[in-house]
Amino acid sequence: MTTLSFQAKVPVFDANVGVGHRHDRISPFENATELLAEMERHGVGRALIYHVQGERLSTLDGNNWLEPWIKGNPELYPQWVVGATADGLDQLRQLHTEGKVTNVRLHNTIECRVPFVDWIYGELLEWLSVQRIPLWVSLADTPPVEIMETLRRYPDLVTVLIGAHYTHSLMVRPLLRYLPNAHLELSRYENLRNLLKLKEEFGPERFVYGSFYPRYAMGPMLFSIHHLGLNQSELMAFCSGNLERILGDQKK
Amino acid sequence: MITDITVIDFHGHVGRWDSFGMDDTPAAMLQAMDAVGIDQSCVFNIFHSDGTTGNDSTAQFVGQHPDRFIGFAYVSPLMPKRMMPELERAIDQLGLKAIKLYPPYTLFPLDNPVWDPIYDFAHQRGLVIIIHTGTEPTAQPRFLSKIAPRFPGASFVAGHAGNVEPYRSQAIQAAQECPNVYLETCSSFRSPGVIEELVQNAGPDRVLFGSDTPLMDPRSQIGKIITATISDEAKRLILGENARRLLSL
Repeated sequence: MTTLSFQAKVPVFDANVGVGHRHDRISPFENATELLAEMERHGVGRALIYHVQGERLSTLDGNNWLEPWIKGNPELYPQWVVGATADGLDQLRQLHTEGKVTNVRLHNTIECRVPFVDWIYGELLEWLSVQRIPLWVSLADTPPVEIMETLRRYPDLVTVLIGAHYTHSLMVRPLLRYLPNAHLELSRYENLRNLLKLKEEFGPERFVYGSFYPRYAMGPMLFSIHHLGLNQSELMAFCSGNLERILGDQKK
Repeated sequence: MITDITVIDFHGHVGRWDSFGMDDTPAAMLQAMDAVGIDQSCVFNIFHSDGTTGNDSTAQFVGQHPDRFIGFAYVSPLMPKRMMPELERAIDQLGLKAIKLYPPYTLFPLDNPVWDPIYDFAHQRGLVIIIHTGTEPTAQPRFLSKIAPRFPGASFVAGHAGNVEPYRSQAIQAAQECPNVYLETCSSFRSPGVIEELVQNAGPDRVLFGSDTPLMDPRSQIGKIITATISDEAKRLILGENARRLLSL
């Protein structure tokens, strides 16, 4: 039974929201107030946000521009973007020294044309592993072969694989199997049967809700998760509990 | 079910596509439909150029749950001699209710004359044709603006409503220009505001909910309609009333 309207029934912490306008893609919202209104419409209480400038052009600029979005908005948690530059890693280390880093997102390696390989990103990955900082990596924006081959060298690194699509169907299961600290973010993963099969195989703690807003609409996947037939504790784990655990329940 | 409407999913598949994890197990499809109140799903098999093999499998699939699935016929101009006899058989003998075309599996753009016998068949009989539209050179929705006026007795549904820009705008323009063009919503590109854009520019009576089940989960696809900022009346039309009218159910 469903109705013509929907709001989340459990606390929701969106694991994947981009803010700001890209040079080639305009955001539907201008500021935190408008983003918070969209979140409220769907019953999303908190969101992890990154600045989209960091996807392709400059992680340094994007991270600097993230601060105003967070300030005064306790519902919005920062996600710092990092690429392959030494300056980017220095910025991240400085933010970490200031106690501001609970998670990091890899830039778009395909658009940046910098393959995700150990001999380029090794220093970053080693540092994240030692500091126990989880890394978000986009299957939409980084080749799955590079994700598997590179992350297997860092077995302690906790990761969240975002943006899996139905075309990744045969890759997701091996990724979760061979990367035991990897989690699957669900913004684009809408295979009819695979998600429930994966949940049975790997347990509900490996999955997190993310919208990938505004690349994708915020509501549809949240609606879908609510209708998967999950029990209450699984639903809460998918919608917020697993992300809270991954972030170490740290305050920004 | 959703109170006071029959929800109809206008875009579903029969057949397997293993590399994408697509598996047409009826139980799984029904479970997802039941979870979100989809009463009926339209299905077709596009994986056989002869038409016959796929249409037989569609009829068999629908026959297992005739109250829940509505079968559409598929034919291809790759086998031109078989195309029209098979279409006639699928509609008249198998009882399939409408026609599905998939131009990316051919070399022929939608305005190529090889498709005309199918369009004319639908025109003569007042049938619906749902056509995959999108980025592919053969499937661009701009062709509908040329075809639809020539076959006013047929109804043309732009599957995926062109999918992404600039093709979505082409699909909307075709619907604005031609009263017998409709827009169907399924897509893995779930950009915010798309449903609102289709409704605003083509009208709520010209938009049809579709999911692409079982390639994609109908739960997230119907979620696009449910969570859109459009009126409840528009949602009722999109979720079922328009399909019911088009298919004369």
